[in-house]
Amino acid sequence: MLTVQDLHKSYQVGKTTYEVLKGVTLQVAKGEFVAVMGPSGSGKTTLLNCISCYIPADSGQITLGQRQLAKLDETSLAAVRNRQLGFVFQDFLLLDGLTVRQNILLPAIIGGTMGRGVEERADQLCQVFGIAAIAGKYPAEISGGEKQRTAVARALINNPLLILADEPTGNLDSKSSRAVIASFEQARDALQATIFMVTHDSFAASFCDRVIILRDGVVWRVLARGEQDRSHFQDQLLDAIRDMGKE
Amino acid sequence: MKTFSQLYAHLRRKNRGQYALLAGCCFFSVLLITAYVCMMRSPTILTVLPEGGDSRKQVMMVFVLAVLGCVVFTTYAAGLFFRQRSRDTGVLLALGASRRQIKGELRKDLAAIALGSCVAGGVLGGPLAWGIWKLFRLFLVDSQEMVLSFDPKSYGLSLLFAVYVTAMLFFLGGRSVDRNNIIDIVQESHKSEPIREVKKWYAPVGLLLLAVGLTAGLLLPSFFVTTLHWYAPSAVNGLCYLPALVGLYMILLHTVVNGWGRRKGYKNLIATAMMKFQGRQTVRNMLVMTILVAGAYFASFYAPMMASSTAYSFDARPVDYEYHWRGDQDLPQQQQVSRMAAQYGVEMTSWAQTQAAVLGTDGTYQVETEGPMGATYTTDYTELLDGGTFFSESSWNTLTGQQVDIAPGTCANVLDDEGGSGYLSGGDVQVVTNMVTRQQLRVTPAEPLCYSMLLGSYVLDDGDYAAITQGLTDQWTEEYVFFNVADAEASYPFAKALFAEIIRCSGSEVEVADYYDLVGATLAEERGEAYQFSPEEAGARGLSVIDYDDCDSSEFRSYWLYMPQFRVLDQNDFVTTMAVFLMLFIFIAIVCFAAVIVIAFTRSMTIALTNARVYDDLRHLGAPRTYLYRSVKGQVSRVFQVPILIGTVLIYGFYAYMMYANSSPAAITASERAGLLACLAVVIGVSLLLYLVYRLTLQKVCAATIDRTAQ
Repeated sequence: MLTVQDLHKSYQVGKTTYEVLKGVTLQVAKGEFVAVMGPSGSGKTTLLNCISCYIPADSGQITLGQRQLAKLDETSLAAVRNRQLGFVFQDFLLLDGLTVRQNILLPAIIGGTMGRGVEERADQLCQVFGIAAIAGKYPAEISGGEKQRTAVARALINNPLLILADEPTGNLDSKSSRAVIASFEQARDALQATIFMVTHDSFAASFCDRVIILRDGVVWRVLARGEQDRSHFQDQLLDAIRDMGKE
Repeated sequence: MKTFSQLYAHLRRKNRGQYALLAGCCFFSVLLITAYVCMMRSPTILTVLPEGGDSRKQVMMVFVLAVLGCVVFTTYAAGLFFRQRSRDTGVLLALGASRRQIKGELRKDLAAIALGSCVAGGVLGGPLAWGIWKLFRLFLVDSQEMVLSFDPKSYGLSLLFAVYVTAMLFFLGGRSVDRNNIIDIVQESHKSEPIREVKKWYAPVGLLLLAVGLTAGLLLPSFFVTTLHWYAPSAVNGLCYLPALVGLYMILLHTVVNGWGRRKGYKNLIATAMMKFQGRQTVRNMLVMTILVAGAYFASFYAPMMASSTAYSFDARPVDYEYHWRGDQDLPQQQQVSRMAAQYGVEMTSWAQTQAAVLGTDGTYQVETEGPMGATYTTDYTELLDGGTFFSESSWNTLTGQQVDIAPGTCANVLDDEGGSGYLSGGDVQVVTNMVTRQQLRVTPAEPLCYSMLLGSYVLDDGDYAAITQGLTDQWTEEYVFFNVADAEASYPFAKALFAEIIRCSGSEVEVADYYDLVGATLAEERGEAYQFSPEEAGARGLSVIDYDDCDSSEFRSYWLYMPQFRVLDQNDFVTTMAVFLMLFIFIAIVCFAAVIVIAFTRSMTIALTNARVYDDLRHLGAPRTYLYRSVKGQVSRVFQVPILIGTVLIYGFYAYMMYANSSPAAITASERAGLLACLAVVIGVSLLLYLVYRLTLQKVCAATIDRTAQ
């Protein structure tokens, strides 16, 4: 589904160059729920932004399905972002001028695929994520959790191959965080969505099938949940993070 | 809402405030430039502003400042608009909209804004200028010269500015979408623009550069001419002021970032920090405002300076009535004037009449060579260059009441009452020529005399005068009359009638401007050449043309070679005679101050828009309303006060310095002192008005920040 091969990315700040990604390689299978964890500055968000094609990578390959993203032109990239990727951001990035329902429909409007079927799907997503009652409200009138669930619904409206989520629970209380994670699980189970989530939150990550831990721009360790209980997996994650601190 | 176009239209409706602000700023700028251009290029104005004269240069200089101000202002407004729109643009890109899709919609919006605001501004600019002018004519002053006409060609400049606005909108719009990094676009609106570290030496170096620039701008152009013999292009002369602009920028940077004096603890922490992180745009706006304030005051000072200095010079005249005529003219003399005075119930208390001669004088002239960087010149001497009016010492004493004694073989030139205006009075005459007999008299310069009413003339020893004027025909003589009346102020109808009679009696051969020189004309005729200052030639070159039918026009009254000096006539007719000049500069001042007010208001409201969240946070941290008010006031007052204060002090100081440096020898004369005091009164009046605008703006900003958060 998603393959990242030897990805490098650096930033120039003044005369200093900071190499953030130093050869990241990973794979995500279809229908998998994967989290990326790591300390601040480890390159999590940069990795996600490169996969999203929001920022160009310096070198390396990102393959989505059968397509190498670096080889696509601007129009094809936009089409990939619109049809094959769904995005959930830490600060939601809902458009203030649109209602909840209109925000959910946004990718379909952009892609020119609006129709009766899409509108029905939007209503269905509202039901699934418990936001039907606020569908006519504007972002300024709803809570953080509701905003994030709206963002998840928006990410799913075009049936994307992959949902990319950047700290989706970062701005939420525990109840809302739980609701957002539940919505991802629901998307995976009911809609066969593949989810790639960047998070600091070991609780959120413990719901994933696999957790990739980044450190200093490289993959430091990969932990698979397997058949084990969620709370055991969270303990395993916390141990790994403690180990990283010791090194 | 099914399509991307419908979505964009929906977002446009929701963000109409941002669109209105941009369209309003573009509209205002085009309106202002169009109104200014219509006025500046109007035949009404061009007729009274002499080609190459100081007034026309000043009007042009303020126009350039206004254009620069509008360029920075519209660019800032557009930058702000795209920053505000960047979040929506970034989200749309992130969700898969292509840049082409967004650009297509953005182009439609920008085309509508550019077309709407430029057409509206262009169309309404002319009527605005006309309306303001009409108000002047209704409430201030009206004269035959004040009838306003527009030259359709002037819209060319307005169109150029509209083209700039349109091109700038499309360029910045395209750039706002074209960036590679979508995350940068999303975060653009939250980004602050920190100014790089501003060292403490910025303040002294800025002040030094400011002083150097102003001094260089004032003195270098005359240095180029007098020492280097080079008429530098206007651009080069303008560049001399560049250090002043850089210095001003450094001073503003220092003011915004470091502030002046010792910091009062954490009292103004929020206001200072917020201003600092508004970054370069704040400083650029403040720079534009400073320049516009300076330009506005420069124009404002014209009327009071001119009014008070001329009023002073009228008052300082030692006689009530002076007139003179060429010897071959038949003008009213004592008997006729007395009769006319009696008819008007005016009592004449004195009468002095003497003869003067027009003689040739030697001197140096310039031979110019045009080059790519302006003309250079060399000087050449000739014993017969041009003409001057010469009095004998006894005639001089009769006329002026002075008791001068000129030594034989010497010649005294006449300066103004304060010993200045040397540039109008050659003090280096060595050879005097009788233009009929071509007899020459060699003289050495004597101590100059002072008498403003006869500025530029010469006085010879009686014996020398008698010898050199022997054989002169009437054409080469002049009669001078000085007389007083018992109640000068009440003699206006008489003065008007006498002036009309003088015009009626003057022939077409003396229907010439003061640049006409009989000696020069004669020499040109002898060489078989056309005289460059003959009425026909001068008219073709755009110089003032004297016409008896326009004897009340400023052109006639300012430039007729034989214009009488009747104190009561000059005093009463000053405003109507100079109406076009005065009103034009008042118009320019209004336009520039309007621009300052709009920019300051827009900038202040931007503070409200961009910082509303910060004020929310401060309120959540427990800040009381008084604290928030102080913070808002700290920023708004800095946006208003710093540029207005610097612009005002700068231009007032520069104006005073200009007065001081322009006199020869350098000094501020009594009339200039009176003018500067009048200018100070203008500064106080305008400052009060600007303070009122500041208070209203502060109220508006508070309503949009503190009072909004308090809801």
